[in-house]
Amino acid sequence: MSDKSSSKASAFDRRAFMVGAAGSALVPITARAAAGDTSASVAQDPALPVEVTLHVNGKDKRLSIDPRTTVLDALREHLKLTGSKKGCDHGQCGACTVLIDDRRVVSCLTLALAAEGQEITTIEGLATDDRLHPMQQAFIDNDAFQCGYCTPGQIMSAVACVKEGHANSEADIREYMSGNICRCAAYPNIVAAVKQAAPEIMKG
Amino acid sequence: MTAAAPEPKINMGQPVPRYDAVVKVTGRATYASDMPLADPAYAFLVTSAIAKGRIDRFDLDDARRVRGVIDIVTHENGPKLKESKLFSNGGYAGTTIQPLKSADIAHDGQIIAVVIAESYEAAREAANRVKVSYTAAAPSATFDSPGTTIAAAKGQNAQFKEDPKVGNFAKAFEEAEVKLTASYDTPTQHHNPMELFSTSCAWMGDELVIYEPSQFVYGLKYGVAEQLGIDADKVRVVNPYVGGGFGSRGSMTPRTAIIASIAKRLSRPIKLVPTRDQGFTITTYRAETRHEIKLGASRDGKLLALKHEGAEISSRPDAYCVGGTKTTTRLYACPNVDSLVSIVRADRNTPGFMRSPPEVPYLFALESAMDELAVKLNMDPVELRRINDTTVEPIGGKPYTSRSLMACFDEAAKAFGWAQRSPQPKSMSDGDWLIGYGCAATCYPTQMGPAAARVRLQRDGRTRVEIAGHEIGTGAYTVVAQTAAERLGVPLEKVAVFIGDSDLPPAPVAGGSNSTASTCSVVMMVCDQIRQRLFKAAMPSQSLTDKAKETVGIGQTPATQAAKGDRPLDLEKAFDALGVGVVEEYGEWKPEGAPLDSFRAMHSGQVRLVGGHAMKDQIAYAFGAEFVEVRVNRFTHEIRCPRLVGAFAAGRIMNPRTARSQLMGGLIWGMSSALLEATDIDERNARYVNDNFADYLVPVNADVPGVEVILLSEQDDHINPAGVKGLGELANVGTNAAICNAIYHATGQRIRKLPVRLENIEV
Repeated sequence: MSDKSSSKASAFDRRAFMVGAAGSALVPITARAAAGDTSASVAQDPALPVEVTLHVNGKDKRLSIDPRTTVLDALREHLKLTGSKKGCDHGQCGACTVLIDDRRVVSCLTLALAAEGQEITTIEGLATDDRLHPMQQAFIDNDAFQCGYCTPGQIMSAVACVKEGHANSEADIREYMSGNICRCAAYPNIVAAVKQAAPEIMKG
Repeated sequence: MTAAAPEPKINMGQPVPRYDAVVKVTGRATYASDMPLADPAYAFLVTSAIAKGRIDRFDLDDARRVRGVIDIVTHENGPKLKESKLFSNGGYAGTTIQPLKSADIAHDGQIIAVVIAESYEAAREAANRVKVSYTAAAPSATFDSPGTTIAAAKGQNAQFKEDPKVGNFAKAFEEAEVKLTASYDTPTQHHNPMELFSTSCAWMGDELVIYEPSQFVYGLKYGVAEQLGIDADKVRVVNPYVGGGFGSRGSMTPRTAIIASIAKRLSRPIKLVPTRDQGFTITTYRAETRHEIKLGASRDGKLLALKHEGAEISSRPDAYCVGGTKTTTRLYACPNVDSLVSIVRADRNTPGFMRSPPEVPYLFALESAMDELAVKLNMDPVELRRINDTTVEPIGGKPYTSRSLMACFDEAAKAFGWAQRSPQPKSMSDGDWLIGYGCAATCYPTQMGPAAARVRLQRDGRTRVEIAGHEIGTGAYTVVAQTAAERLGVPLEKVAVFIGDSDLPPAPVAGGSNSTASTCSVVMMVCDQIRQRLFKAAMPSQSLTDKAKETVGIGQTPATQAAKGDRPLDLEKAFDALGVGVVEEYGEWKPEGAPLDSFRAMHSGQVRLVGGHAMKDQIAYAFGAEFVEVRVNRFTHEIRCPRLVGAFAAGRIMNPRTARSQLMGGLIWGMSSALLEATDIDERNARYVNDNFADYLVPVNADVPGVEVILLSEQDDHINPAGVKGLGELANVGTNAAICNAIYHATGQRIRKLPVRLENIEV
């Protein structure tokens, strides 16, 4: 698991992403564009749908989408997985946070096409067999939310925060959970929740 | 018990977990833009790039060529909508500026076109390809901009009836031994709730369903019906969960009727999710304010004269104002008081209520001035408040229904360690950090509004409560469920609550901190109607009213009642005696002193809140005291706020867990209003510059290391049946002053303009 995430990590830094988008990523987009159009018209019209298979919460989901569709909009508008939220669409608030190959990413800044072949985990995929994930339970125990809109993103971020080894002190938790805005300001309760869930997550 | 669930004190309910906790941590809570729609088309807004002038021409060719575009709506082909008056003038709207009506532009970021397309991506691209030619005029942006006008609020804002005055201020101020005159400024702020200002509209025949985050589903229902010119019975607003409100969703915005009419025209559900930056101009905001305070006192600290003048920005057509002098002139004992509120009109979108609308700016001024006066008197600022504490407000001489201000000061001071403060400025430090302690009072009016509820009880104890309240994060579901469970004596897990739907019985706007008081009062009343029916059937020989009052439980008897020998009614026997399977009751409650037209207004989406200073024979406020520690780096001038401590008394606390969380969030909001939040305005273009979450600073987790909330026991039998004062807007008041007072203590520098940034420190 740790091997996989470290090898994928480079694919998500900004520089590597730009290189990928300019080079390899564009090729499959045009190659998969809907049949019947010439490649010239494809170049003129980037809105032609493309086929993509996303691996979400352990299941393959085949979609025909606008190539500009983000992971967030693919989840919300095409897969009816509305747990991940749109709060800014600019990667500034963290409400859309999901795990991609166990790394936390803002799904509003990740193109669905770029996530093909990777394991996407959303808030809907966190509980198993109707049993809440320890982080979900900790959020309830510590009243770590009010309106609840940022909560799916906070919880996904918190799970990753623990697994990254960034939950060893309250100061660490505060720092490494600062990419997720909670306008209701449940912050002290979020810190308490992460602290409560961390040992159980590290154990299991 | 975790810190999140404080042990209840006297007159507090149980700190049970939130009713909506599981759906919120699993992503199953359905906010407006999560609602499934059959084959929706997507809308994307185009907003004005100028603040004043006219649209000469649209060039839509390029936009129309984008694959998937269905329609582009501008003023040239826009919907014919009726006007709605401002909510304060008997209407529903938060602004009377109606986009898509003409070529005129009233403010930057006004909606000028709506692109409809098959996908969000296509709508966005086409919106970016809409070309607009304008004739622009120079706009007036804010205070001191050429072209603004100023006039007294009284006479132009129907809700601002009087500038409070008493005694002879001029004479008393002239003769006072110690005098203070100081000016204070507060900035523009935007609510920025996490959920965007989305609207989905779907028609089924002539019936319209609106999914929109709203703090007032009845107001939106009637407002949209009025604008569309249709029967309100044909409009339903649904939002079981709202991703934060803070006042931004209390009144109708123009977008809703526009989207509804486009959906009608295209015979297709339309989904609009505006961008974060569009949210800055298509809704309301907290306007910037200016204040001048004059205080005159005797040497021993008795206030003899107080004058508070405030000026607020509003738009050209709408006279919105918050008028916080109603509170600041009544907070302390003072025989000679004068005040004036003015409205300055500029080329801006209409402002509106944002969490504690009057108290945040106006108490910043007063509570800063009180600290400055304490310095002049060489007196502890807590003692200055004690000397001027009162049980009677000075303007009308009405008694406070209850007032625990000094108890809050004493509790919070003890928890904070105020006694360790050395009073001289710049006298405390830790390495490179100058340390300052500061404090301030907070208060917020107790308000209530007419409300209705339906409660259904089954013979197995299962209970269903229906009320069109709003879950904006306050814990509305939870306290309603607790109220019904307690009143009917059924287990909490058997109570189902339905709110956030205009098909349910009406409740007031979730604003003015009235919701818990109003909804719990009506739910108590309707539960009592059920109990009366059951007792009448089961014990026909007894005096019904007395028995129903005495015996709390139906299915269960709380321990206190059991100790007195009360036994619960046997629910199954009572149902058998009634010969029914379900008992259902509907009831309408209005607070004492509510106007005669209350129920009629309630059923047409109008707000009739009563309380605060406007009660007939008394005045009702919740109180609190806040203490903060700030650290200012003597070299970099960086300001940190490591500790916030607040003690609050607000009547009955329904649930110490949800109450503490709201107060905690409020304290952080208060810190934010002092140190972080301000919408910057480009004065040449009357445009908001930092209209996104990267540039509009809100607190993140690393900004708030230590927050302590102390809930005081308080009982008030004079306000409403639930005994609840409301506390959602209590904790973010006064914090801004407490922080500036602490910065003064740390550095010796008095800061009278918010927010305080490191460049404002001149150590």
